[in-house]
Amino acid sequence: MLKFILNGKEVTSEAKANERLLDVLRNEFRLTGVKCGCKEGECGACSVIIDGSLANSCMVAMGRVDGSTVVTIEGYRETERFAVLDKAFSSFSAVQCGFCIPGMILASECILNKNPNPTEEVVREGISGNLCRCTGYNAIVKAIQTAAKEGKGLW
Amino acid sequence: MVGAVRPMSLKEALDIMANESVTPYAGGTDLMIKASQDATYLFLDKISEMKKIAEDDRVIRIGAACTFTEIIENILTPTILKEAVSQIAAPAIRNFGTAGGNICNGSPKADSALIFFVTDSKLRLVSNRGERTIGIKDFYLGRNKTVLEKDELLVEILMPKTGIDNYYYKKVGAREALAISRVSFAAILDVQSNRVTKCGTAFGAVSDVIIRREDIDAMLIGTTIEEAKALKEVYLAAYDKAIVPLKGRISAEYRKTVCMNLLRDFFESKL
Amino acid sequence: MWGLCMEDISRPIKKKDHDSKISGSALYVDDLEMEGILHGKLLHSSKAKARIMNISVPELPEGYYVVDKNDVSGENSVHVVQDDTPVYAKDTVEYVGEPILMVIGPEVKEVERILYEIVVEYEELVPILDMQKSDTVFFNYNYEKGNIDKAMTEADEIMVETFRTGCQEQAYLETQGIIAYPENGRIMVRGSMQCPFYVCRAVAKALGCDQSEVRVIQDTTGGAFGGKEDFPSILACQVAVASKKANKPVKVVYDRREDMEFTPKRHPSICTYKVAIKNGEITGMDIDVLYNSGAYTTLSPVVLQRGLICSSGVYRIENLRVSGRAIKTNTVPSGAFRGFGAPQTFFDIEIMMNHIANKIGMDSLELKEKYMVKQGDETSTSGKYHFHVPLPEMIERIDQLSNYREKLKLYKNQSGRYIKGIGIALFFHGCGFTGRGERDLIKAVVRIRKNVDDTVEILTGSTDMGQGLKTTFCKVVADTLKIPYDNVLIRNPDTDCVPDSGPTVASRSMMIVGGLLKRATEKLKKGWKTGEEQIIEEHFVEPDFIIPFSLEKFKGDAYPTYSWGVNAVEVEIDTLTAVTKIIGAWGVYDVGVPIDMNVITGQMEGGFLQGLGYASMEQMDYNDKGIIRNNNFSDYIIPTAVDVPNLVVDIINNPYIDGPYGAKGAGELAPVGVAPAYLEAVENAIGISLNKIPFTGEDVMRSLQEVRK
Repeated sequence: MLKFILNGKEVTSEAKANERLLDVLRNEFRLTGVKCGCKEGECGACSVIIDGSLANSCMVAMGRVDGSTVVTIEGYRETERFAVLDKAFSSFSAVQCGFCIPGMILASECILNKNPNPTEEVVREGISGNLCRCTGYNAIVKAIQTAAKEGKGLW
Repeated sequence: MVGAVRPMSLKEALDIMANESVTPYAGGTDLMIKASQDATYLFLDKISEMKKIAEDDRVIRIGAACTFTEIIENILTPTILKEAVSQIAAPAIRNFGTAGGNICNGSPKADSALIFFVTDSKLRLVSNRGERTIGIKDFYLGRNKTVLEKDELLVEILMPKTGIDNYYYKKVGAREALAISRVSFAAILDVQSNRVTKCGTAFGAVSDVIIRREDIDAMLIGTTIEEAKALKEVYLAAYDKAIVPLKGRISAEYRKTVCMNLLRDFFESKL
Repeated sequence: MWGLCMEDISRPIKKKDHDSKISGSALYVDDLEMEGILHGKLLHSSKAKARIMNISVPELPEGYYVVDKNDVSGENSVHVVQDDTPVYAKDTVEYVGEPILMVIGPEVKEVERILYEIVVEYEELVPILDMQKSDTVFFNYNYEKGNIDKAMTEADEIMVETFRTGCQEQAYLETQGIIAYPENGRIMVRGSMQCPFYVCRAVAKALGCDQSEVRVIQDTTGGAFGGKEDFPSILACQVAVASKKANKPVKVVYDRREDMEFTPKRHPSICTYKVAIKNGEITGMDIDVLYNSGAYTTLSPVVLQRGLICSSGVYRIENLRVSGRAIKTNTVPSGAFRGFGAPQTFFDIEIMMNHIANKIGMDSLELKEKYMVKQGDETSTSGKYHFHVPLPEMIERIDQLSNYREKLKLYKNQSGRYIKGIGIALFFHGCGFTGRGERDLIKAVVRIRKNVDDTVEILTGSTDMGQGLKTTFCKVVADTLKIPYDNVLIRNPDTDCVPDSGPTVASRSMMIVGGLLKRATEKLKKGWKTGEEQIIEEHFVEPDFIIPFSLEKFKGDAYPTYSWGVNAVEVEIDTLTAVTKIIGAWGVYDVGVPIDMNVITGQMEGGFLQGLGYASMEQMDYNDKGIIRNNNFSDYIIPTAVDVPNLVVDIINNPYIDGPYGAKGAGELAPVGVAPAYLEAVENAIGISLNKIPFTGEDVMRSLQEVRK
């Protein structure tokens, strides 16, 4: 049995250790905010945060998260930091079809966690693994930079 | 665990590998593309001997299970390796992908392997039967084929500490991030008292295996800067003959041209 | 970005779907769970052209089924424009990927195992993969005006050039997916789609039942760009047939490789321009357009029509002949992708004009300005530009932003490792359906319902696929009624609850459907009865200034109006590696009046990047067996956040008399003009004439070497 901390709560899973974390999160835990865009680690729609690091959950085998902390959008959306990002993304209408967005939000968290005052270059680099086909990225980048300014002290 | 094992030490891992059919899992970022339900993964992330970055007298020892992010953030990592690894894929892949995985896949496009080639790094391979340290060049047999035995693990990569600060590196991909190399080139030059003491080049993504021709580079070693400059056309001509890109979706001509352009630029900018 | 006079309506507001999407709680089709649902996977043809001789199916465990043409209770054809697309392959397969059958069952892994064990015996036939070798013309249109033959005879010189454009994959982040299930004797269909009523009609036909027995609901759709205009109808028929057979819910969600390889893409094209030049003037153009339709007709007639209409670009060409064909090849049927036939010919004409300018000895922009149309001029199809054409002021604006004119001169004849170039493109997008489609085919209807609590619900068949329709429709209604935005409600369309407002395509939604909503809302405002339920319905009426369009003669107003665009792209080429970096990107757009500045800006920015991909990195080819090899995100390269860090978008105000608040079509304008601006930049940098896209790193290297010789 696998044990890990999922969105702040200790959980167990009977999933086999060689199953994809993405599949277990979506199917067993019904965390459908974690999206499947390619299953090859190329699009970032499945992004989660494992032990503080951005990960493509489609490229992680379940056994690897045994004893780890995993955060998905469903957990992150309860945080104060999310609220700041939420407001910023809204102000630029950065959400279009929305499919890349949970991944973008978690990538944003990872950027700001490391760099509370990132340059535009650092922001773009930080979301370089999250593909978006709708927005052209500008609004998302502006939103992250705005969140950094507005979220003083949070990161 | 069902479907995997997660040893806490190198010995434990090697014992398992000696007796069972397992698939070593470092970062998973290549392995999980074709995830198999039947595989038993051997997670390497808890093996401390493989997660260290340390230095001794002459080498930097990079644990094969260190992630690219760990490599980039470690103060001991040589700059040439930092630069190359920073351009691999994207943050999420760098957080989990490892140098060991990058090498053991056997691909000539492996960005970190290119740096290990050009710096003539060594690989420490360990099994229950013993261990061996071989030059990285001797590790590759052909495309996606290495000498790694079924019961062996690549534990550490040993990079030289000195003589690799003056380098040239260029990765050419289809876009600025998340790009598999179409051509990659690395070169180092070390000059002491007006003499070339070290010269190395390596070309990735061009052939079955990363191209490293110490024999051609040797022509410049020991020469003075002026002597080396005079050898430019001979040196380039030798590489022009040596680099025969494989046919592929990206044309061989394009790759060859880029290789030669970068090589010439390295020569002209460093000497 | 705000422009000198921004209307109140343009002020951005929080999007209606922001909360559900950003929190991860919005449900896309693959997120839906249903008891007893069966998972389906399609078996796709592995041959480009073959006769199916035999299919051996292994023994099926209980609860697992194989579904094929024999299970189609209605007609085994999917209506798109014509009816040649089968639901399941008949006796032959016409492209690699053609769906032959579906395996359905409770466990995905077991479904995959069964699928893997099915053996299809093919009698291989000879596929046609090269569009120039095809002998099957699906559609053929021709039109003329003036006297082109005379112009050619009298010309001092005739320039002839051929242009090629490639395949482009929509690459929406959410792959295709449909669920169908029986409920109360009807079939329910839901999923990722642009046109619920198209799906409804197609499924009814395949099942052989009345449309009232089919209910279709659009789920939150993760991007579409035209890729979910016709394809969902095909998939829905397949899934509905399967659901009917098993009498259970069935879900099919394409995986990425499957989606990239087997769903519709932008039509590749080969076009030849013959231009008559006399006394340094363009006196006529004779244009031949060839679009690759792929294996079935699907949307090709309409794509070709638009391509032909746009083939002379924004220019006044008095003697014109345009001939176009959409031909069959044994490849994936080409479909809709933002721009819908226009990006191809706008690329052609813009580059042709550059080359003509070069020949005549003018700067490309100078030549373009000389010939660009004005209000009152005739269109290519002898219609009229009834309204102000804002190109002059847009060109000035982009020159201010980008320094195009100065840079173009500066960048000629560079040397050194890094060479720069800049390019410009002028273009339009014809708003709405081509010709009389709105009046004769679509006949859009909208409804609004004021509830007893005085909230107002919008009832249209239009879908929000990310482009912000839910938000902009609600803004129109809220502002007209002067009630809070939060009191205006809108849900994903359900064919049981909304009228058919027509498909969400052709950049028609705000201009046409939004226009109807505004009229309906104004009526409600006049007759508002507090505390009472009221329903207002509005039907489409063709504007009276239209010069009727005849498809047979290919003459008249193809569109009621046009949205206009000017793009500039600046590049820096590393001559050692041929890597071409975008160092500047500008777009100035006229969409009438933006109903929400953020929404429109987001549309333009997203579309711009799609255009850049089309021009440079997005290459997709078939091998000699008719197989697309780069069927995944590592090998089909779309722009990331670091590829275009400097895009600047500017929206002007140019209200359209017949659009709600002055709005015109917006969605498709953005990708239309990028490719020629990019290619001119590369031409400018290298000093060479080019004629194809995508123009990749390898192509740049070849050009650099050619110039050096």
